[in-house]
Amino acid sequence: MSWSQFLFIFAVCALTMLVCRVIPVFALKERELPESVSRGLGFIPPAAFAALVVNDLFDPEAIASGIDLYTFIPYIASLVVVIVAVKTKSLLWCIIVGLAVYAVLLLAVPAVV
Amino acid sequence: MIKAETAKASLGAALPIMAGYMVLGIPCGILASQTGLNALQVLMMSLLFYSGAGQYMIANMWLAGIPPLSIVASVSLVNTRQMLYGASLSRFSGVGKKRLSFLFAATVTDESFGINLDRFEKGDWSLVNATLVNLFSQTSWTLANVIGVVAGAVLSIPAAVASFAMTAIFICLLFSQKATMANVVAGIAAAVGVVVCKLVGLSGPAIFIGAVFGIIMAFALSEVQKRQ
Repeated sequence: MSWSQFLFIFAVCALTMLVCRVIPVFALKERELPESVSRGLGFIPPAAFAALVVNDLFDPEAIASGIDLYTFIPYIASLVVVIVAVKTKSLLWCIIVGLAVYAVLLLAVPAVV
Repeated sequence: MIKAETAKASLGAALPIMAGYMVLGIPCGILASQTGLNALQVLMMSLLFYSGAGQYMIANMWLAGIPPLSIVASVSLVNTRQMLYGASLSRFSGVGKKRLSFLFAATVTDESFGINLDRFEKGDWSLVNATLVNLFSQTSWTLANVIGVVAGAVLSIPAAVASFAMTAIFICLLFSQKATMANVVAGIAAAVGVVVCKLVGLSGPAIFIGAVFGIIMAFALSEVQKRQ
């Protein structure tokens, strides 16, 4: 990637990111929001995190190219993380256990196959 | 002047994110070095763009031979979800404090949003606390990226394993939400929205569209519950 290509990608992405991050905070800041709007804003976290999880796990291209044991690794590791999350509510434990399970499964699949 | 106890509380809240960003950031730096970026360019990205998903996308799409204009459009679409975070956090950004609010808003990520929102709702969490969480997290991300790009030739971490750290964080944040009927509907509808978007080829805006669909469905349910 040349400097000019980098600067184009960097500048546009950084600018759109800054606008998306800052504008809503200042547009809604210091305003008494109606009850219905506050209620709606409360649904952002569950909706956004569910969307992020599914976006990470669901890959139609990978599924279309063929399902094998490797396809199930992220799903199995995610199920384990769900259990850890419900039990501990700890981000750190979720990362440690999740990565460990994922890595072990990656090593185990060739042995099974 | 920031009190030591404020900084300590923020560091404690930020530690899990910092650990996750170290795991995620090093392979991101390695990937960036494969696209031909140097340490200065990666530093600029981490400080002024500061987006894990975005930086991974740029490197992956560049290596796949996708033109810069398409990269910029896709990354910008994925980052529109940040508008939802800003809208949700605006009520905690305080009266006045424009510079601090700007710094806070400009450094929000998926992970720090979840942590700060949880602390704000529990009370006893200030805009200074939240901004420090963001800055500690960004420091970790930046450091990891630069380490990755400098040591790219020597270090090797499977990208799939590293990126799962981010998924684990999102799962934890999702299952830390209150299990009300409306929240469950928000999550399920958002998930369905993302799947449908990706199946019809709308991968770029899938997160944003899915999340908005989830919010609308949960809101509709809460309106029905309110009237009963």
